[in-house]
Amino acid sequence: MKAAIYHAFSHKEAKDHDVQELGSQRAEAFVRAFLKQSIPHMSQEDCESHLQRKAVILEYFTRLKPRPRPKKKSKGLSAKQRRDMRLFDIKPEQQRYSLFLPLHELWKQYIRDLCNGLKPDTQPQMIQAKLLKADLHGAIISVTKSKCPSYVGVTGILLQETKHVFKIITREDHLKVIPKLNCVFTIEIDDFISYIYGSKFQLRASERSAKKFKAKGSIDL
Amino acid sequence: MAGPVKDREAFQRLSFLYQAAHCVLSQNPENQALARFYCHTEKTIAKRLVLRQDPSVKRTLCRSCSSLLIPGLTCTQRQRRRKGQRWTVQTCLTCQRSQRFLNDPKHLLWGDRPEAQLENQADINPSEPLPNIADLPKENIQTQALNTSE
Repeated sequence: MKAAIYHAFSHKEAKDHDVQELGSQRAEAFVRAFLKQSIPHMSQEDCESHLQRKAVILEYFTRLKPRPRPKKKSKGLSAKQRRDMRLFDIKPEQQRYSLFLPLHELWKQYIRDLCNGLKPDTQPQMIQAKLLKADLHGAIISVTKSKCPSYVGVTGILLQETKHVFKIITREDHLKVIPKLNCVFTIEIDDFISYIYGSKFQLRASERSAKKFKAKGSIDL
Repeated sequence: MAGPVKDREAFQRLSFLYQAAHCVLSQNPENQALARFYCHTEKTIAKRLVLRQDPSVKRTLCRSCSSLLIPGLTCTQRQRRRKGQRWTVQTCLTCQRSQRFLNDPKHLLWGDRPEAQLENQADINPSEPLPNIADLPKENIQTQALNTSE
């Protein structure tokens, strides 16, 4: 108990603090009497065990580290970012007609496969229905009618189709941007000639695949 | 012979656009803008018509800028080791987006597993219902009653 609760002053400490030195027995008797007076309801053994018991710290508070935020999955670029980065703009040095002839051959092969061989006895309505849903990139397309006379007669390979325009590369290596509105285009595939009314065709290439075209309506520029 | 495929024309169109992107790049490796446009159109069509593309095709398209990923031309490919596993890291040179693929020869995609094919999936037949008691002769009814009581 002596070691756990208190220890007697040494001779030097007693002299420094000007305290009267008591014998070890007298000191212990005083401490016991003091404890009995302070805690009357506890027995001596309980009191000693209570005083000698070690405190156990149940909770240990650490400094909270700032949690690293989960990385956001970067989604695709927005339309504005695409325009700013010029992701889909064809550079002038790549605007050569000869470079896109293999693309046209690939397109012809695709259309033949789509229309099951394009036999002479095939119904034109069936081909037209397929062409409405088909992809036109790589087709040789020409403007037959237009409200703007300077567009009429422009022929070339279709490189890009957007909602409102066709981008066509001509034999003279010029990239022509022709609006769909108020224009009639012609596509020729193995002696089949198909007309596209641009005013009714004002859709994105991707939207056209899901669109249901209606037969009714006036066909005019 | 395989049965008729739903959205056959749409899949043909996706196939054409993917081939067109490759064709344009093979003719002129600098003409990445047009290949990117075709791949972007392909992705948009697939999303609009809810068509599932093969993972081998999806891995060759950048998920951010829709570039056609060709190692050494439009992307870089590196082998990395991490946690005892080997990964292929593909970084698009246009938008710097990186994709990691695990190098595990034992790993099989779900579509390549035999149980993914419909004809290999075992049809679990529902347990046959007990025959109607009214249709059975009397002797059978007695034996059935005995069996059930046991």
